[in-house]
Amino acid sequence: MPTLTVDGKQIEFKQGETVIEAARNAGIDIPHFCWHPSLSISGNCRVCLVEIEKMPKLAISCSTYAAEGMVVYTQSEKTLQARNAVMEFILVNHPLDCPICDEAGECKLQEYAYAHGKGESRFEEIKNRKEKRVQLGPHIKFDAERCISCSLCIRFSDEIARKNQLTFIKRGDKVTITTFPGESFDNSYTLNTVDICPVGALTNQDFRFKSRVWEMSKTNSVCVGCSRGCNTEVWVRNNQILRLTPRHNKDVNNYWMCDNGRLNTFKTVNTSNRIDGAFIRKEGMLQKASLEKAVLFAAKSLKEFKSGEIAFIGSAYATCEDNYALVKFAKMLSVTNLAFANHIIPGDQDDILIREDKTPNSLGAELVGIKSGPGSLNLEGILKGIREGKIKALYVMEDDPASLSDEFEEALGKLDLLIVHDTNQNRSTTLADIVFPASTFAEKNGTFVNFQGRVQRILPSVATAEMDRALDGMEMSRWDKFGTEFDRWNQGHKYDAKPSWKILTMLSLQLGSKMKYEMAEEIFSEIANSIDAFKGLDYDKIGELGAQLKIKQTILK
Amino acid sequence: MNIWEIIIISLIKILIIVVMLLLTVAYSVYFERKISAWVQNRVGPNRVGWLGLLQPFADVFKLLFKEDIIPTAANKPLHTLAPFIALFVAFSTYAVIPLGPPVELFGYKINLVVADVNIGILYVLALTSLGVYGITFAGWSSGSKYSLLGGIRSSAQMISYEVSMGFSIAGVLLMSQSLSPVKIVEAQHGWMWNAILQPIGFITFVVSAFAETNRLPFDLPEAEPELVGGYHTEYSSFKFAGFFLAEYANMAIASALIVTLYLGGWQVPYIEKLGLSYTLTTIIQIASMFLKIGALLFFFIWVRWSIPRFRYDQLMSLGWKVMFPLALVNIIWVAALIMIFNL
Amino acid sequence: MPVQKRKKDLNIFGKLYIPEIVKGMALTLKSMFRPNVTLLYPEVRFDPPASYRGRPVLVQEPNGTGRCVACGLCARVCPALAIEVQAAETELEKERYPQKFEINMLRCIFCGFCEEVCPEEAIVMSKDYELVFANRNDAIYGKDKLLVPIDNLRARLEFLRKFK
Repeated sequence: MPTLTVDGKQIEFKQGETVIEAARNAGIDIPHFCWHPSLSISGNCRVCLVEIEKMPKLAISCSTYAAEGMVVYTQSEKTLQARNAVMEFILVNHPLDCPICDEAGECKLQEYAYAHGKGESRFEEIKNRKEKRVQLGPHIKFDAERCISCSLCIRFSDEIARKNQLTFIKRGDKVTITTFPGESFDNSYTLNTVDICPVGALTNQDFRFKSRVWEMSKTNSVCVGCSRGCNTEVWVRNNQILRLTPRHNKDVNNYWMCDNGRLNTFKTVNTSNRIDGAFIRKEGMLQKASLEKAVLFAAKSLKEFKSGEIAFIGSAYATCEDNYALVKFAKMLSVTNLAFANHIIPGDQDDILIREDKTPNSLGAELVGIKSGPGSLNLEGILKGIREGKIKALYVMEDDPASLSDEFEEALGKLDLLIVHDTNQNRSTTLADIVFPASTFAEKNGTFVNFQGRVQRILPSVATAEMDRALDGMEMSRWDKFGTEFDRWNQGHKYDAKPSWKILTMLSLQLGSKMKYEMAEEIFSEIANSIDAFKGLDYDKIGELGAQLKIKQTILK
Repeated sequence: MNIWEIIIISLIKILIIVVMLLLTVAYSVYFERKISAWVQNRVGPNRVGWLGLLQPFADVFKLLFKEDIIPTAANKPLHTLAPFIALFVAFSTYAVIPLGPPVELFGYKINLVVADVNIGILYVLALTSLGVYGITFAGWSSGSKYSLLGGIRSSAQMISYEVSMGFSIAGVLLMSQSLSPVKIVEAQHGWMWNAILQPIGFITFVVSAFAETNRLPFDLPEAEPELVGGYHTEYSSFKFAGFFLAEYANMAIASALIVTLYLGGWQVPYIEKLGLSYTLTTIIQIASMFLKIGALLFFFIWVRWSIPRFRYDQLMSLGWKVMFPLALVNIIWVAALIMIFNL
Repeated sequence: MPVQKRKKDLNIFGKLYIPEIVKGMALTLKSMFRPNVTLLYPEVRFDPPASYRGRPVLVQEPNGTGRCVACGLCARVCPALAIEVQAAETELEKERYPQKFEINMLRCIFCGFCEEVCPEEAIVMSKDYELVFANRNDAIYGKDKLLVPIDNLRARLEFLRKFK
């Protein structure tokens, strides 16, 4: 491999890499605004200037290809002077409104100004005034004054979202960004521009002014919006999710995620229709009861049916652990009628990220055993069985069969017993006899298997009533660390919910089984021991970026 | 005088002494706070009554209305007994201190002392030695480490300083050749005050008196920064008031004792030469006794707000290595005086 | 540790501490006759100088709006975590305003860091030192108690201009 020298360090590089890439791979970070590893090179911000021996002038490292024997200085006096000068130029027209700007705290310009700037400006004239609060698209507000014209957003919509919607207009210090006439910046990936924008010019309409970034904790998770399973970070303050951002994983979602996943998937966690505590139907009305009571009642009710009269519906929204616990629970009751519903919107798919399967774990649910075997009923069979009166009790976990079709809803009404676990109220829970409160993806440990057959971890970021942020090892912001019960900023609501596998464990104990799980990890190790596809895996091996399962390509759609 | 008359007169004297002592205590607490305020350029208590003069009563009521707490780990009988020992010792010592010359009242010749005992000084020494029990019991019976440390410190301190105190008094006894306080006072007629004749003994006695009364700079038994409240950490309400009272009563007694032993008691030098009437002379003499006690009380308080507390090892080395030898030197000095001037 | 020898040992007279004690007693006696420095509090009230750090307040412009833009720096710098700010969008030019601004006066240690860090000169330390509450909730001051007209804070603002 050819080598070059950066700051006295010998670095290997691949032919065709630029200096900035080679240095980055070796752990040397050269300041940059307009360069992004996944986008084309523009070279307009000039902040990545470096001194290269035998070159007459300083060169921008983002567009200079690394060559054998090249000697680069990123910290020489000449480089630092140039960087200073560039920073001063960029800051000439940049407003000093960091206190107002949402980007403050994760702003590249702020960081570089701190690290490489002089701390004062020689520019005494009045700064340029441009348009503020421009609604570029449904989710994006644009502040033209803050823009440093790096063109990242233009290149992103061009190259990644493949919708040519943004462009520069005007010249010189009047240059600004706008959509083409008559167009709105409305593709499915617009919010990624907020992430890559090095300043606060593009802001997320949904998150705008909600919180400063340093007040939140962030937890690694996986998006539940579709079977892509984009890697995400969940940003939480006061036990409420305020935003999701994509996390780099080159095998799944690279640096990106879609607007729908970013904006809508976490909205179910903290809403008025969350199921908070267990409910039992008494005198025709669902009434709140303690979880223990509901479990006792459910166990008693289930015992009244023969195993042929019971059916279980698992869920592609639930984790592998939850589904596995359900399979085991069904086996314990010798019930073979086991199915889950697919939620596919045909055609709602692109070749970027979005998949038409709108559940995060349909493959996982199938792999851990939610499927009808020989002689048992599948989903349609269960529906038919209910209508014919053969199935009298239905146990639904984290899904809403009543919303599948009107016939299903009607059929649910005929059941003698309907037990539902869910996170939010829906058409099925209103028909249920017993409702168990299930934790959402943000409140539990577990794994999802995406459409590629990649198993990925989710971690709890929002605490439920049974959890303690510190004791359960959850990510904590400064506010979480030092808050007491007397601080108003520490009184975010904790829902009385449990992961489905925990509820199933409690229930099985009432029915005399040996399902004694304490942690999701125990279930996963059992999965890893009993199911071939998961063999040899554990939570550590899955790690932050997931692990590819050993499954036949034919299963993958 | 028959026995009943003696009993009644004695009871009246006791009543007067106790009331006076209580008043003195109440107002020395008031002046303690006032003087500390003056030293620190503050105002001091000024809310209850004119110039805050009723403050001591407010304090007493406050203390009485507080909850009386006996810790679970405490030894209850001793815990209750301790403040009473302290109070008893403080009050009964006063019986032998003469407040003035004998007076004629309603045809009776009355000594202005409750009990003119011929071994009065021995009685005082004996009783003050008992005082240490109150504090030691309080410390031990509270079942608290702070109290215990305070109690132990107190007993060690009292024993150490009682030695030099006793030797200082020996000088006085050599001079007056009597153990009776009345005789001692009478022996100091004119300017023959013991404070002038034996200044070393006077200093050692005053210092020892400070140590015996647990006043600053010798208040190690209750040193707040280290021991919370020392022996009375676990006391509250009336029992705490008992210790509080005893401390100030002890102060008054120490002052009276110093006056009696070293400052001529009720005597005013050369007052007989003024040719005043007998009644006026007696009144002036009694007043001078109170004035001297008052001045000493002021001195006690003034010292408290001026001098910081000793370290424990300093206290001990001062007691044994400085005060004790000085008291011995004083005895030799007095003996030499007697031999040379044939007093 | 080696035993350090004193520069000069005390002589027997010094060991009695008498000269020093006399000096100390003279000092306290002298100060007994100096004028008092204390004020009779409820009747006479202390008017602190502009440098005084009383309870933090928010500056209210004459038109009734607060200066605060809810940047959250005061909340971040507060060593006692006394401040909670919730920002929201406003139609005013400043774009951002505190929808909720609460200072827990039981947590506040009057260090003045919030004032020092504030980029808008919006939070300043007032002269108010009389803070009494009967329960924990009363100690949490919201915007209603925190906003103070700028005219009452001129002295402090001037002090900050000069010395900050």
